[in-house]
Amino acid sequence: MKRGSYRSKSYETSLVVAIFVIVASLLIFVMYPIVEVFLYPKAGDFLAILKNARYMKTLQNSLIMMLLSTSSSTFLGFIFAYTVTRTNVPGRKLFKLISLLPLFSPPFMVAFSYIMMFGKNGLITAGIFNARVNIFGWQGLWLAQTIAFFPVAFLVMEGVLQSISPGLENAGRNLGATGFTLFRTITFPLARPGVAGAALLVAIQVLADFGNPIIISGSFPVLATEAWMRIEGWADIAGAAILSILLLLPSFGIFLLQRYWVGRRSYVTITGKIAQVEIQKTSAPVKWTLFGICALISLLVVLVYVGLIIGAFVNGWGYDWTLTLRYFQEISSRSKELIRSLTYSLIAGFSSALFAMVAAYLVSRKRFFMRKFVDFTSILPAALPGIFLGIGYSISFTRPPVDLYGSAAIIVLSMIFWNISTGYQTGIGALQQISPSFNEAASNLGATSMRIFREIEIPLIKAPFFSAFVVSFIRAITTLSVIVFLSTSKNAVVTFSIMNMISDGFYGKAAALTCVLLIISFSALGLAKLFMGKQVQLFKV
Amino acid sequence: MEHAHVAIRNVSKKFGSFKALDSVSLEIAQGSFTTLLGPSGCGKTTLLRSIAGFYQIDDGEIRIDDRVINNVPSHLRNAIMVFQDYALFPHMTIKENITYGLRIRKMPLDEIEKRLTKTIQYLDIGMLLDRMPGQISGGQQQRVALARALIMEPEVLLLDEPLSNLDANLRNSIRAELRQLQQRLRITTIYVTHDQSEALAMSDSIAVLSAGKIMQVGSPAEIYYHPANKFVASFVGTVNFIEGAVVGADDMYLRMESKGAQILVDARKFDDAARRTFEQSKKVLLVVRPESMKIVDSSASGDASNVFEGEVDHFIFEGSAIRYWLRALGSMIILDAFDPGETGIRSGAVKFRIDPSKVHLIAL
Repeated sequence: MKRGSYRSKSYETSLVVAIFVIVASLLIFVMYPIVEVFLYPKAGDFLAILKNARYMKTLQNSLIMMLLSTSSSTFLGFIFAYTVTRTNVPGRKLFKLISLLPLFSPPFMVAFSYIMMFGKNGLITAGIFNARVNIFGWQGLWLAQTIAFFPVAFLVMEGVLQSISPGLENAGRNLGATGFTLFRTITFPLARPGVAGAALLVAIQVLADFGNPIIISGSFPVLATEAWMRIEGWADIAGAAILSILLLLPSFGIFLLQRYWVGRRSYVTITGKIAQVEIQKTSAPVKWTLFGICALISLLVVLVYVGLIIGAFVNGWGYDWTLTLRYFQEISSRSKELIRSLTYSLIAGFSSALFAMVAAYLVSRKRFFMRKFVDFTSILPAALPGIFLGIGYSISFTRPPVDLYGSAAIIVLSMIFWNISTGYQTGIGALQQISPSFNEAASNLGATSMRIFREIEIPLIKAPFFSAFVVSFIRAITTLSVIVFLSTSKNAVVTFSIMNMISDGFYGKAAALTCVLLIISFSALGLAKLFMGKQVQLFKV
Repeated sequence: MEHAHVAIRNVSKKFGSFKALDSVSLEIAQGSFTTLLGPSGCGKTTLLRSIAGFYQIDDGEIRIDDRVINNVPSHLRNAIMVFQDYALFPHMTIKENITYGLRIRKMPLDEIEKRLTKTIQYLDIGMLLDRMPGQISGGQQQRVALARALIMEPEVLLLDEPLSNLDANLRNSIRAELRQLQQRLRITTIYVTHDQSEALAMSDSIAVLSAGKIMQVGSPAEIYYHPANKFVASFVGTVNFIEGAVVGADDMYLRMESKGAQILVDARKFDDAARRTFEQSKKVLLVVRPESMKIVDSSASGDASNVFEGEVDHFIFEGSAIRYWLRALGSMIILDAFDPGETGIRSGAVKFRIDPSKVHLIAL
């Protein structure tokens, strides 16, 4: 559009339309619901927060869980990342594969499965050790969240450790640092900003976690579950709004910290020369300690899936272990919800990826009024707990002028805009790698901006688009927190019914449905890998 | 050769199926400046890193001071490396970077300070000590990296293309400084580069590598004037190759014939074995450097031996010299004429003389 390229009218027009649509959508579907949540409670409601002992207790619980689960997840994530990138521990590849599984699974699944495995009637606790353990409460939640979220930390820190120039460690080794000294003086200090970044990212997810606490935290309320109780039990929307604001504030603060503070303190070095890296032999005690930790945690991850599968095939969990297929037959009565889940998530995943790519393209390539706004608002959903966005939508779009109560549209829209940030960041990343000199070269050779867009930029952005599509689809089909406030019998999706089945004690049915959900999301993943191969970088955090 | 300080014997190293080093042997004299020279992928960096102890070699042995160090960890070899990208620790100040190795050794602090003072005076980086690596320039980073290695008082200093990230001017000045420092400290230095002029300018000894093998080891002059093969000849400097056969010989000269022309080659620099090889080879390659030929005035009489005719095809004017491409001897000959002046020859027919004493033969 600038310097030297031929302007074509159709391109200019579509650009203006695109900018308008993006800006308007972000205003209506991201900003407006946020503002509405803040406006809904009366001033008095806010003042009452401090006096409300239960709110304060809940806030405290949430913060405690955030500290506990974030620490343990980050610690385990680092152990995994270090083992995978820096050691010759056997089974590294398998550990990596296993630890990535939870990323593609519904968030409540870990808690659900652990109730079956380690709860009062747990297959392992009661069945094998004959112990009656009460897993409900903060301990169970801690365990579930640790297993659910350490993969996030792992993924971030794997990237960080990989991008630390091996030359630095070689230099340290050459100058006399070995074993733990090398780790203490070089490797860890260099990874520290990455560790902080990973911890903050995990903290946001732990705070926002709704699926695990709703299932396993029992009488230990956290902000997300308490907000749900306010509405479910007392129809107290103002109370729910206030709780979700209490949830938003720390997570938004962490989000800002993560983005603007840690982002700048990275030691990641990019050098031209890629040296062949030989992994140094790890000393035996260290090696087997790491192996032990990784094996134990991997086993805990695998147990999640084992529990679900067994749960889906036995007659009565805890008292009747005979095999049955009846739960899968009963699922057919739920086919409506399954079809809804599939169609909503497909539409939402595709639209979300498309929206994110267009926004990323405009922001990184064009100068326009409100460009900064688009950039910020497209990333913002990453900081919004699903609960918060859900409440925002239920306040904003269930009454005139826009009454979408009980409609498919409200679910799909919430899924779209909750997911734009991952796709947007992938898109920005991809476009940053495409040097503007491609454009200059093309326009220098006489291509119009429309042709440049069509023939150079679209092909280059195809791969990130597909990964954004797949990731958004999986996130949409497995989400519970966003849709829980928007669901009615007319638009309920699978995750919503699974939650209800678990709370009503129908474990077999819930497990069978969760298995189906897992099959769908792993198939989506498999298909993406099959068709796009290595081009698709999923969950690059 | 003096006492071999570093001895490399039949060293091989594979990456997957790629042979990075193929039975390499090399002896490096105490206190010498030895350069490993070759194009990228020739194995020079692999050899350096094997000496440093970053790679486990597959076969052969590496000795320092007659001690086999194949399985000695990097830091116990006392062979300290300066990395191409300097590898300064970004989370430490310059002072912390430089003293890192000594601190790891748990040397007393006053001793460290003493060594630091001594080291930084060589390199003129005293005012940088409290800065972070990201806050100093490329040339300064270079000096700091060197200081970090020198403060260890290494037995062997390893330099991995340390000048390649600097701009041309800085490169030339640091090149001279580095060589002076090395001579002052008499520290055995192994230097890796792909830049032949750097190798010629700095080294006591050059080892030219190609495809994981050593092509030739020798002093800069030997490498330049007596390349062992075509690869070395063409990699080091600009060169003309003239193919032909030796057709006669006397005490003074070998007579070579190429496409009807007879070229004299000074025979006194070859030993008997070499002479016999050339005389018996069906084909030999004459190696002529562009500056070993001279344009001669066609009208003036004088020594007419080894004078040939050619025609200027094109030229480049470089100020102190002019480089001609001449159609002569059945091919294109590159010839450098120095101090060409404003009105020198630019076109047409010329006569030029090949100096018989400065050419070299390679048997094919």
